[in-house]
Amino acid sequence: MTHAIDTSIYSAVTDAIRGEAQRILSEGQVSAVVGYAAARRKGSAQPIVINQADDAAKLIFTPACVNNLAVYLTKAKKEIPKTGKIGIVVKGCDLKALVGLMGESQLKRENLYLIGIPCAGVLASTIQPDKELTHDSIASKCRECDVHLPTGCDFLPSQQPGTPELEKRYAAEIARLETMTPAERWKYWKEQFSKCIKCYACRQVCPFCFCEQCLCDRNKPQMVETTPRPAGNFAWHVVRAMHLAGRCAGCAECERVCPMDIPLNLLNRKMAKELKELFEHEAGLEVNEKGPLASFSEKDDQSFIK
Amino acid sequence: MQKYLSQQNFTTLLDKLITEGKRVVAPRLNSGTVLYEPLQSAAETVTDQLPRRSGKEAFFPLCEDIMSYRKEGQQVLLNDIDPARFPETVLVGVRPCDAAAVPVLDAVFSWDYKDEFFLERRRKTTIVGLACTTADDACFCTAVGLAPDNPKGADLFLTPLEGGGYACETYSEKGEQLIQAHRQLFDEPRNSTALPLAQPQTETVDLKKVKAWLDEHFEDPAWDSIATRCVGCGACAFVCPVCHCFDIVDEGTEKSGKRRKNWDACGFWKFTHHASGHNPRDQQPKRYRNRIMHKFKYYDDKFGQILCTGCGRCIRLCPVGIDIASIVEEISKK
Amino acid sequence: MHVEKQKHDFEPKIIAFVCTWCTYAGADLAGTSRMQYPANVRVLKFPCTGRIDPVFILKAFQQGADGVLVSGCHPGDCHYIAGNFHARRRFAAFRKLLEFVGVDLNRLQFSWVSAAEGGKWVEVVTELTERVRDMGPMQEFKELAMEEQWSGAINTPELQEAYNQI
Repeated sequence: MTHAIDTSIYSAVTDAIRGEAQRILSEGQVSAVVGYAAARRKGSAQPIVINQADDAAKLIFTPACVNNLAVYLTKAKKEIPKTGKIGIVVKGCDLKALVGLMGESQLKRENLYLIGIPCAGVLASTIQPDKELTHDSIASKCRECDVHLPTGCDFLPSQQPGTPELEKRYAAEIARLETMTPAERWKYWKEQFSKCIKCYACRQVCPFCFCEQCLCDRNKPQMVETTPRPAGNFAWHVVRAMHLAGRCAGCAECERVCPMDIPLNLLNRKMAKELKELFEHEAGLEVNEKGPLASFSEKDDQSFIK
Repeated sequence: MQKYLSQQNFTTLLDKLITEGKRVVAPRLNSGTVLYEPLQSAAETVTDQLPRRSGKEAFFPLCEDIMSYRKEGQQVLLNDIDPARFPETVLVGVRPCDAAAVPVLDAVFSWDYKDEFFLERRRKTTIVGLACTTADDACFCTAVGLAPDNPKGADLFLTPLEGGGYACETYSEKGEQLIQAHRQLFDEPRNSTALPLAQPQTETVDLKKVKAWLDEHFEDPAWDSIATRCVGCGACAFVCPVCHCFDIVDEGTEKSGKRRKNWDACGFWKFTHHASGHNPRDQQPKRYRNRIMHKFKYYDDKFGQILCTGCGRCIRLCPVGIDIASIVEEISKK
Repeated sequence: MHVEKQKHDFEPKIIAFVCTWCTYAGADLAGTSRMQYPANVRVLKFPCTGRIDPVFILKAFQQGADGVLVSGCHPGDCHYIAGNFHARRRFAAFRKLLEFVGVDLNRLQFSWVSAAEGGKWVEVVTELTERVRDMGPMQEFKELAMEEQWSGAINTPELQEAYNQI
C-alpha cells in the first residue's frame, strides 16, 4: 500500500513563482532567473535560465523539480552571467547549499534574489518522471527534511506543505552498516563502487564541487587512478566524501544522478553524522564563515591520538 | 532461416553455450541494476528491462588494458595484449537499439585505423537480438529510422510470441551457425502470433532537415538555450550505445604498470583541454554542440550514418533532463 | 650491544607520515641515541601534519602499505601555530570515513611525538608494527588493485588466461 503525498499546493506555488519572476525581471531587479521548466516527457522538468519577463510563464514547480539549482551559480558554471543580481528558485535543501556557498565566499547574499518553495517533497528518481509522489517514490532526503519552508528568502509563496512523518532511511541504513564488521562493510562498498563508470555526474551536479581543476583530474602527481576500475573507483569515492565532509548540505543530488545507482549520499550522511557528534556542526540556514574542517578548537577530542 | 525456440530451450541454449566455454553476455541484475554482463547461468537473464548501459561494452569495454610493462633489473619488459586471446562470445537479449549500434560502430573502428581490439571481439561475437514489447516515452528508435523489431546488427533475431517462446530469424552466417550447432533445440516455425510490439511515442524526425540545419548553424544562439543547463558529466556518453570516444592513459609505478583504454566523453571539460591551458571548447554549450553535431552531422558526413539509435538512455539518465529527442525534433522544425 | 634480529614470517610495510619539526627530529634522536626500533617503518617527511592530505594515507594503502602512522607536534607546539589542530580535526573525520568503508582502524595510528621523545617514537613504531604483524598483510587494497573490470567479472578460463598474460 503506497500512500500518496499531497502536492496539491504545487500548482498555486507555480503561479506564485511565475508572478514573482515576471515582476522582478520586468522591474529589472534581476538579470536572470534560474528555475524549472516543463520538458517533453510527461511530467518531466528541467532547469532553465530565463532573461525575459515573458518567459516567466515557463517556470513550474512539480515533484519532478528535483535539481539543486545552486550548482548553476558556482564558478564551475561559467555560462550563467555573474554580473548583477540573479533570481533563483530554491527548495529548503537547495537553500542550505547556497548558504554553504556563501560561507565559502563563493556567493554574496546581496547578489541573489531567493524565490523559496514551500516543498512537500520531490521524486527520488526522474528516470520515469510522471510518477505520483508517494511514501515510496519520494526522495530519501525528503523523508528527513527539516526545511519544508525555507527561511530568509526574498519571496516565499504562502502555501503550507503537508508534511507527513516518514521513516528515516539514511539513519537506518547507516545504523545497519555500522553494526557490520569492517570486512562486511568493505564487501558492501566494494560491490557498490565497482559499479562506478567514472562519468563524474556526482561531481558535476554537486554545488560544492566547484574546483577549477579537480584533484582527480590531475595526473602529475596522480593521486587517484582515473580508470574506472575497482581501485580507482574506491579512491575517488573516498576522496569525494572527504572533500565534502563538513560542507555537504545534503541535497543528495549525487545519489539521484548516479546512473549506476550507487548510494553515494550514505557516505555524505555518515560524515554529517560524525561531524555533528565530533564538532557539533550541522548544515543549516545560517552562514558560517568557517566550516568544521576549516576551523578547530583547542579542546577537540584527541583520544584516538597517542 | 526461420525457426521456433521455446522459452525452455532458450534457457537450455544459454546454459549449453556457457558449458561449451563460450562467454555468454546478457542482461542480468548487478546489485539492483540491469546490465549486459557475462552470465554464470542462464537463470540470471533478465529480458523484461532495457539494461542501464548499452551493449557496446561487449566490443568496446569501459576500460581495457592494451599494454603492460615491467622492469626487471636493467630491462624493461613490454607485453602487448593480444586480441587473438579474446574469447568466443554470444551476446544475447540485445535490444534493437543496441544491436543496430554495432554496425554503426564498425564504420569508425575499421576506418583508417583498424582497431583490432574492437574488430576481434566483433569477429568472435554472435549477436542474438530481441524485439521490444514495452517502451516508455524516452524511447525514440522510430524517430531515427529504427523500430522495436528492426533486426539491424543482429545475427539472429528473436521475436517473443503469444503463449511463450520466440520466433527466430537468422540474418547472417554466424546466426545460422549458432542454430546449426544446436539444431535439436530449435523447432520448425510456428503459426503463433507475435506479442504486440512496443510503440515508441515520438514522431518520425526528418533527419535530412536536421542535418541541413546543423550544416549551417555551428554558431547559433539556440545552443545556449539548449545546453546552458548541461553540467558537463559523462552520463549521456557512457550509457550511449554508439558514443565511442576513448582516452588512453598510462597508470602504474616505475616498476610496473599498464596502458589502458577508457571511455571518454565530449561533455567533459578535460576532453579538449590543451596542454597549453587553452580550451577550444571553453563553455559547456560548445561541448554539448559537439555531441549533437557529431551524432547528426559529422558522422553522417564521414560514414553516411547517424550516431544515434533512439534508445533514450541519455534522456532518462541526464542529471538535468536534457532531452535529445526533443532537441532533434525542434531542430527539424526550424 | 647488538640485538639479535628476530625472524618473522611476515614483515609488514609501515608508512609513517611525519612532520619535520617534531616527529622527524624525534625519530632522528632515537637513531642518534642508538635506540632499536623495527626497520619496517618508512618515514616520509612533511613540513607539518597540516600538510598531510588524507589522500596520502589512501594512496599509501593502495601502494601496498600494511599500516600507516601519522605523527607530528604536540598540540600547542606546532611550528606553524595551528597546523596540527587542523590536522587533528581532519584525521578525526577521515578515520571515521575509512572505518565506514571497511578499513580496520588498527592499521592506522596517529601520534604526537616531539623532538625530545625518541623513546616515544620507538614505542609507537614498535607497537604499530607488532599489531599490524599480528593482523597480517593488508589484503583489501591489494586485491582491489588487482581486480579488473572487463564489463563484469573474469569468469571464463580464456579471460583468466588472457589476464594472466598481462
